[in-house]
Amino acid sequence: MKKILVYVLLLFFSLLFMAPLFWAVTTALKSQSELYLFPPKWIPSVWKFSNFAEAWNIQPFNLFLKNTLLITVLSTLGQLISCTLVAYGFARFQFKGRDFLFLVVLATMMIPWEVTMIPQYMLFNLLEWINTLKPLIVPSFFGSAYFIFLLRQFILTIPRELDEAATIDGASKLTVLTRIIVPLMGPSLILVAVFQMMGCWNDYLGPLIFLNDQTKYTLTLGLSQFKGMFGVDMQSIMAITCLISIPPLTIFFFAQRYIVGGIATTGIKG
Amino acid sequence: MAQTFLHQAGEPIAQLKPTRKRRWGGVVPYLFIFPWIFGFLVFTLGPLLFSLIISFFDWPIVGEVRFIGFGNYAEMFTDDPLFWTSLGVTLKFAALFVPLNIIVALGLAILLNQKTRGSAIFRTAFYIPSVISGVALAMIWSWVYSGDYGILNYFLSLIGIQGPDWLNDKQWSLVAMVVASLWGQGSMMLIFLAGLKGIPKDLYESASIDGAGKIRQFFSVTIPMITPTILFNLITSIIAAFQQLTLALLLTGGGPMKATYFYAMYMYENAFKYFKMGYSAANAWFMFLIVLSLTFIVFKSSEAWVFYEGEMKKNPQEKLKGQGRRRSL
Amino acid sequence: MKKKISLIVLATTLMATMVTACGGNSESSSSTGAAGSGETKTLRFATWDTGDALKIEQDIAKKFEAAHPGTKVQVEAYADGFDQKLAAGFGATNPPDVMYMWDFPTYHQSLEPLDSYSSNDKELNIEDFYPGLFNYGKIDGKLYGIPAGFTTRVVYYNKKLFDEGKVPYPKDGWTWKQFQDIAAKLSDKSKKQYGFGVRAENDTYDLQSFVWSNGSSFISDDGKTIEGFMNSKETAESIQMLGDMVKNGSAVLTGGKGQQSGDDIFKAGKIAMWESGIWPLESFKTAGIDVGTVEIPAFPGKPVKGVLAESALSIAKDSKQKDLAWEFVKFYVSNDSIKMRVADLPVRVSVVNELKKDQDPLYKPYYTMLERSSNTPAFLLNPKWNEVNRQLSAAVEAVMHGENAQEVLNQAVKDSERYLK
Repeated sequence: MKKILVYVLLLFFSLLFMAPLFWAVTTALKSQSELYLFPPKWIPSVWKFSNFAEAWNIQPFNLFLKNTLLITVLSTLGQLISCTLVAYGFARFQFKGRDFLFLVVLATMMIPWEVTMIPQYMLFNLLEWINTLKPLIVPSFFGSAYFIFLLRQFILTIPRELDEAATIDGASKLTVLTRIIVPLMGPSLILVAVFQMMGCWNDYLGPLIFLNDQTKYTLTLGLSQFKGMFGVDMQSIMAITCLISIPPLTIFFFAQRYIVGGIATTGIKG
Repeated sequence: MAQTFLHQAGEPIAQLKPTRKRRWGGVVPYLFIFPWIFGFLVFTLGPLLFSLIISFFDWPIVGEVRFIGFGNYAEMFTDDPLFWTSLGVTLKFAALFVPLNIIVALGLAILLNQKTRGSAIFRTAFYIPSVISGVALAMIWSWVYSGDYGILNYFLSLIGIQGPDWLNDKQWSLVAMVVASLWGQGSMMLIFLAGLKGIPKDLYESASIDGAGKIRQFFSVTIPMITPTILFNLITSIIAAFQQLTLALLLTGGGPMKATYFYAMYMYENAFKYFKMGYSAANAWFMFLIVLSLTFIVFKSSEAWVFYEGEMKKNPQEKLKGQGRRRSL
Repeated sequence: MKKKISLIVLATTLMATMVTACGGNSESSSSTGAAGSGETKTLRFATWDTGDALKIEQDIAKKFEAAHPGTKVQVEAYADGFDQKLAAGFGATNPPDVMYMWDFPTYHQSLEPLDSYSSNDKELNIEDFYPGLFNYGKIDGKLYGIPAGFTTRVVYYNKKLFDEGKVPYPKDGWTWKQFQDIAAKLSDKSKKQYGFGVRAENDTYDLQSFVWSNGSSFISDDGKTIEGFMNSKETAESIQMLGDMVKNGSAVLTGGKGQQSGDDIFKAGKIAMWESGIWPLESFKTAGIDVGTVEIPAFPGKPVKGVLAESALSIAKDSKQKDLAWEFVKFYVSNDSIKMRVADLPVRVSVVNELKKDQDPLYKPYYTMLERSSNTPAFLLNPKWNEVNRQLSAAVEAVMHGENAQEVLNQAVKDSERYLK
């Protein structure tokens, strides 16, 4: 009985969460004349798969895809390395100014981006990074507050006895991190990777502000080219949205079982 | 200040070592956090200070920069009704959104944590909203919420309810915003799910040996064990609630009649619609103080309700009875 | 142990050097828009257009490149983020060389005055432009933008719904009374069909057409007084009219920014009439709507007035290659380029005559409305209009949600007075 309830709930929420994607797909497939019918036509009478190709080819989306991939892969790599080091530093050491510094880490999350945007633009302009992908990649190699906080919380749940045992055996701090902590952090690292990838993939404001030349554009900037000051090309937006959702969803599908793979199996025994 | 609520996270192991290595022990921690320190000094500190400084200036971006002392702050508090309106809207939103967000995300995570077939597909389905980009999301919601032509009211009409024009209704638009925001909580759900999976099974086993039923187990094992995750999600939810901008910008533009005019939107419009960059910076720093104090309060309270496995050296049962060494943060 | 520590040091210094390295080699990869030492000059051109209109602009840029060897035009499509991008660009003194512009009061201090360029350059052939278009790009007598396209506003109507309701199509010279009667007649709540769509959040700029048509305006001609203008009986009447139509069910409130817009509902065939510029016309046709256009209705005994939405091209004051920028602007408003631009109306009389655009019944109302667009919009009359408009917009929105126009406008005037001192 309980099992059935669980399945019913799972199905209900799945439909709830998938309905809009379904609507996006059918909108992208419809012919123009069916687009604005009320009540909406759920299943298009003609499936115009050509809409996808047309939308993709209006602007150089292959190029946008390449740029987005480059930013996403490099910045994810950067976040993983830097945030692991920093989170470990904050979680496992006692040092002067640690609590204050950690407070600063948290505080940087609380300043809205709108007000630091222009000074940041000036800074990158000074470095001559405007209209390059660097402002979107390089800062990731120095950690982000959200991920540092997240990883720190995870490291704190790992029993300290494990570190201590290794330290007594003569292992250095870095060895403890790479041999003991990182393997135990697996799920949270995948979590960070997934979040960073999704964030990067869908980032709009960053690319908008720092990139000028169309050859440098990302997918979301390409997508926003369908939404102007005076009118919206809804069909193309939905077509592109569907297409660019495929890679992150696929990655998520394969990554999710590692996220939930469970720290439970790692041998925490009271 | 920091010392009072940010308790030490653990014992300094370095002290156990021979003195020869203590010299290194002092530097090692800083080496680990060096990437962040460097990035902070190079990329973050400058822009932050800049925005703090211009909050004392009249800076219209195009045109003259003029020092006006606390003029921006004074105007905000004494001469700008929109400041109070938007602050009220954001506080109302946060009061609804933060608790609901945690409950919904945790509920969904628990649902996904059940042993079922096809769990990979369910998890992916639950995460879909987090993958769709903002531009399309706004269109999707306008399709859902439209008064005459919306899908939500269509379903409501099937059960005989005449729904309002959600986004054009003063009473309902903020609620509609909260629901739309909740819908995209996939990240938080995942964090909870990872936290739930991390609870050692033997804790449940020993609890059930002690005669605890499913519900008792939930409150005596599950909840305590994921308190670090709850703390994280609570803080990031608060920050997210105060910075909520995208949906309002794309969906309602702050309307109807300022019912969804979030503080972040007010700030955004001051900066990019009215080009009052200095004033907008003053808005931002005031919001920073609010969020910082809220975070402070949460951390302060967390000493009483959050504990970390990493700090436990005794029998886990002890912790369940609330006698474990609790450490905040 | 020491080895490991030096590893960390190595790793972090590697990251640090990466930053500097990136800074070093960026000169070759970044094109800041300034005339570099290289052979090709890059001209940055910012536009808010998207979709097909953007494609046309890219084509014009390519033609310019072909005509000017050694020049690259970098078309930067800011779309919805236009103001934000310009704010960042001007704030950091790194703006595009040439940009689309309409909001001259806000930006003119950062734009290059173009009077000397336009009067000294015969090729521009300034007499060929529709008279009056240049007024929109002038602040304090100085010209900051060259018109590239414009539109007036008309009433679109869905012929099919008119036929079904057995209502004759509206004709130029009709009145608001007739308009309201038709709207009431073509509304059918059970079919979720309405006579007209009223925007929940109106741009007060567009409403000026109605206010002027009723013999009033938001602000005095000298730009100093709003009392008795913004809250005059006539102003209130023309705004109340819209609110009343929502109240009595002959018009539907259409969404704000990202919501189901009036354009969409018109395309769905659920509203019989819709008031807008030329932008949605093409999409109405492709959505299969049999659409007609007609002038804005009149108030009895008063002349109809129109409002003009113009897109002009401006050059940034900080541009380092103003002569090249001017060449591009000139090229962009030349006969050939104007002919390529189909998303809005041609600014040159000769192009219109050649294409016989004003003979086409679908396009004719835009041109008759142009003749009626001689009033100066409020934002050009007072530099603080932005602040006043904040109050006015809120008042107008309140009317659409059922408040009394006269009352909220009186309040808006009271709240705005301090900005005009």
